[in-house]
Amino acid sequence: MDRIIMHIDVNSAYLSWEAAYRKQHGYSTDLREIPSVVGGDEESRHGIVLAKSGPAKKYGIKTGETLFSARQKCSRLVVVPPNYYLYMQCHNALLEILHEFSPQVQVFSIDEAFIDYTGMQRIYGDPVSAAHILKERIKNELGFTVNIGIAKNKLLAKMAGDLKKPDMVHAVLSEEEMKEKIWPLPVKKLYGVGHATAPKLNRLNIFTIGQLAQADTELLRFHLKSWGVLIQKYANGIEDSVVSSDMRPPVKGIGNSCTSPFDIYSKEEALKVLLSLCEMVGMRLRQSGFCAKLVSVTLRGTDLKRFSHQCKTFMATDNTMKIYQIAGRLMGEMWSGKPLRGMGIRVSDLVPCDFLQISIFEGYNEKKKKLDDTIDRLRMKYGINSVFRSCFLGSGLPPVSGGVIEGYQMMTNIL
Amino acid sequence: MKVTVLKQDLLDAINIVQKAVMPKSTTPILEGIYMEANENLKLIGNSFELGIQYTVDAQIEQTGSVVLNARIFGEIVKRLPDAPVSIEVIENNKVRIECINSFFEIFGIDGENYPLLPEDDNDLQLTLPQATLKDLIRQTIFSVGSDENRKIMTGALMQAENSEIKMVTLDGFRMAVCRAVIKDNVEFKVIIPGKNMNEILRILDTSDNPVKISLSGNTVSFVLENCRIVSNVLDGEFMNYKSYIPSQFETVIEINTRDFTESLERASLISSDVKRYPVRLQIEEDTLTIHSVTDIGVSKETLRIENKGSDLIIGFNPKYLIDALKSISDETVKISFSSSIGPCIITAIDNEDYLYLILPVRLANTR
Repeated sequence: MDRIIMHIDVNSAYLSWEAAYRKQHGYSTDLREIPSVVGGDEESRHGIVLAKSGPAKKYGIKTGETLFSARQKCSRLVVVPPNYYLYMQCHNALLEILHEFSPQVQVFSIDEAFIDYTGMQRIYGDPVSAAHILKERIKNELGFTVNIGIAKNKLLAKMAGDLKKPDMVHAVLSEEEMKEKIWPLPVKKLYGVGHATAPKLNRLNIFTIGQLAQADTELLRFHLKSWGVLIQKYANGIEDSVVSSDMRPPVKGIGNSCTSPFDIYSKEEALKVLLSLCEMVGMRLRQSGFCAKLVSVTLRGTDLKRFSHQCKTFMATDNTMKIYQIAGRLMGEMWSGKPLRGMGIRVSDLVPCDFLQISIFEGYNEKKKKLDDTIDRLRMKYGINSVFRSCFLGSGLPPVSGGVIEGYQMMTNIL
Repeated sequence: MKVTVLKQDLLDAINIVQKAVMPKSTTPILEGIYMEANENLKLIGNSFELGIQYTVDAQIEQTGSVVLNARIFGEIVKRLPDAPVSIEVIENNKVRIECINSFFEIFGIDGENYPLLPEDDNDLQLTLPQATLKDLIRQTIFSVGSDENRKIMTGALMQAENSEIKMVTLDGFRMAVCRAVIKDNVEFKVIIPGKNMNEILRILDTSDNPVKISLSGNTVSFVLENCRIVSNVLDGEFMNYKSYIPSQFETVIEINTRDFTESLERASLISSDVKRYPVRLQIEEDTLTIHSVTDIGVSKETLRIENKGSDLIIGFNPKYLIDALKSISDETVKISFSSSIGPCIITAIDNEDYLYLILPVRLANTR
């Protein structure tokens, strides 16, 4: 029996959420109807576009460009600051509604999820009308719109959901529908075909998904190895991974970086910024239920040049101080002393915490784990600055940085 | 050079020396097998890290030497009929190989330039039966490290003192120490690359024929009747392994080796290679419960044990326990646990011939 999978994607998530929030709080203008963007704080040198409204898109404003250049494209652009706490609330509220429609909900990112609707027809009727009910409920109860794609697997559901936005339901259930709706799309729209693969396919005279689906498998294998065979399967709508509710989004590594509001000259300051990043990374790592074996540090100079070093640890860890010690050593190895504009830290090579092999050399310190966990709980309950290391006292530096906007509560999720 | 040798003898020799030949080298001569006809036929493979010399009985018609590409030579000999093979070097190092109706002429390289194995200066040496050495290696080699960044752990420590020889390997999460009695009263300490040890393990047989181990400079050689293996040694100081062995234990149990191994193997059946799962051992008085929970399912079984300590719950990577237990031939073993997050050791009941130290896995529910 074919499964019925739905992909739910919030339309311009950050901006919609902010707009919905403002509307509920009595603002008269809807951000979605005017050229507007969610952008970072320019004063602390975080001035880029994080999300944009439909009208802003018409001006050619792109996610990731600087606010300065966005304003040049549209002088009356409205810029609102990001609000991660609000995003988490919206995310959770969305999940709650999704859970009513199926017990199998897989979070894919902060604004995307899959549900397995198979066997739910008796309660909510046929999938297309159920999707409409779901979409309307989200719009009425939460105040933002979503796109829903319905198909027999996650791949097609996601592609269907991306067809036309916003506020739409697209079903690609039969073979004919797939050929009609998916095959004419350019090949780079296919999951797994990025800016590296697309030109290679174009050189083979493959421009649409349909052409890829019908291409000679051996030709693809010759040029793209097993990857070619896989994406051809995708192009034919063949994919059978399960919607698994305990599956967290596929995490390969966790990283945070920050651009410092001022240039960093001294080692002492640099180490503090590094520590504040480690706090964030450590916390997210523990939340995710993983321990990491690889730590890498990236420094960015005032000339915007980046350099990075990494180090593999013997035993996987999720301890903030241990990550910091390694990161500090890595920074010492590569920093020439030139002023720094920003730095980042990333941990990867993750192993699940429930299989933490203890090493002969290091042993395992239960107390450190408990300390980290307790600090995490305090911070989540009472705010990020409720507990901080005394070295930050009077330093003018935030004790935790990266991914958090000061003054807001913690994101209690690895997303 | 002109010799006649039995196909099977020649093939055996090639198979052994080939292990020491570099599969890829910028110098073609190093991808070759050196052959020298003198009183008998001598074959050498040498990659500098490992060198193997093997002699076979042959009918020597003309002495001399030549180097032939190991892969091609090996493939040819492997497929020859089972009969005497004649090998003759004609002009310009061209080698003629003949066997019944088969005929090959392949290009060889002048043997003069081949790096021969260093001679022993016989400073430090000891002799023991091949079977004993084979056991020592077999019982320790599995816990040799594989991380090239921690070079010293990719080697096995071989230490002779007080008329005994010890082999020690450790990969950071487990350790194996085995010993055997020797007649010679010598003292030496050497770290031999694990992968060379694996090759030596394959060459040794289970007989009581002697193997002489001698240390000279930065090489160690293993001399058998018709074979000499020279391995490089790793520079550096081996970890002070004795310091990792705890002296105090919370729980000490005695358990049937085979029953325990089989239970663990059953418990690992529902683990996968993609995601590893620990086994949970629960010791309650004189029973041991082996429990594993994975995304495939659950397994559980109990064994009778003799417990001389307190109750304990501890998690392990089952592979580490199985590897150690499988190398033990005693019917019963003693397992001593220091704590639920500290090392445990597996030893014999009444002697100190072997010791396996294994670090546990932290169990999520004991957090």
